[in-house]
Amino acid sequence: MKTFIVHFLIAFFGSYVYFKYGDPLVPYNAIWAVLVASFIMFLLWLTSPFYHRAYFHKLPQAISLFVYFLKELVVANFRVAYDILTPNYRMNPAVVAVPLTVSTDMEITLLATIITLTPGSLMIDVSADRKYIYMHTLYVKDNDMEAAKQEVKDGFERRILKLTR
Amino acid sequence: MLDNINFLLIREIVSSVLIIMGVIFMLISSIGLLRFPDFYIRMSAITKGATLGLGLILTGMGIYFNEPDMLLKVLLIIGFTFLTSPVAAHVIGRTAVRNKIPFWGPTDLEEFKDYLRKEHSNHRDHERDNKHL
Amino acid sequence: MSLFSFTLIFAMAALSVCVVMIGIRFAMGPTLPDRITCFDLFVANIIGIVAIYTELTGNQDFIDVAIILSLFGFLGSISFAYYLMKSSR
Repeated sequence: MKTFIVHFLIAFFGSYVYFKYGDPLVPYNAIWAVLVASFIMFLLWLTSPFYHRAYFHKLPQAISLFVYFLKELVVANFRVAYDILTPNYRMNPAVVAVPLTVSTDMEITLLATIITLTPGSLMIDVSADRKYIYMHTLYVKDNDMEAAKQEVKDGFERRILKLTR
Repeated sequence: MLDNINFLLIREIVSSVLIIMGVIFMLISSIGLLRFPDFYIRMSAITKGATLGLGLILTGMGIYFNEPDMLLKVLLIIGFTFLTSPVAAHVIGRTAVRNKIPFWGPTDLEEFKDYLRKEHSNHRDHERDNKHL
Repeated sequence: MSLFSFTLIFAMAALSVCVVMIGIRFAMGPTLPDRITCFDLFVANIIGIVAIYTELTGNQDFIDVAIILSLFGFLGSISFAYYLMKSSR
């Protein structure tokens, strides 16, 4: 995590300084800026096995988590938009208690942030013994609470566990 | 060959398409804010639509201004919005639970009863403590 | 007037309609947390309007307003919710 932040800052400011004060080979626009930043990131990632071996495997998983999260964000937004624009409600809200496998502070924070950013689900609280989180969700099919829990556990929590352990 | 392409036109088209998409998301979330029946449903469905719409509008603006400074500022605003929006939603939601805002009728509260009972009895304990003081 | 600036003015008009709808919910919202949510959404809309206005005029100084507004909107809604939590106990 620390390595990722340091690499990201180096890539970000490297790209910024290159286009602002350097003598760029390509004309500036947003696409080239992002490409140069990811190229610096890629070079730094290639050097990482010498000092931080785990980071070499974890960056692809982090990217796959990010892409999956973006996909979920857009899909859930369209589902809620469909529900808003058609006259009848299709939703079936419930508050479910999702049992947690993740344990440390950072993992719980990451999971809660991702759940809250996805439309249609809102995290209310963590139970006192940190075994459950209470999640308010909109779409429970046929009153099947287990399926809603399993969706969270298979989707986000499995990827976060892969990333942090 | 590169000289024949009108880059300004391309930027204008991309930027206006992104802005129109963002505005449509904003409009849908405002209609939902008026239509949905219950505070928690409004909260969980609406705030994120507005966040996505704002991100799209700002991205379109950053693409139109063709400068590193502008892109830096736009990325700063987008990152800050995406970081703080779930925190605010979580805090407001928990405040609503503590203040006993009612849930919508069909909501399934089977697994949430224990938490609600504990929370509200805590509430009464505090009132008693304050009287004692 | 080009098609591009027409699009931007149309987008600003749509966002203004959004602000009016949020105002209606702000006036009739049954409870106080509803109004805090409205305030949050209101700040997001104003940031969007400022961004589109920046693009329309081409004056780059206005984007600083949006940065400050995003900071203060978050602070405002958090402090409002905190006050509500403390006062109910």
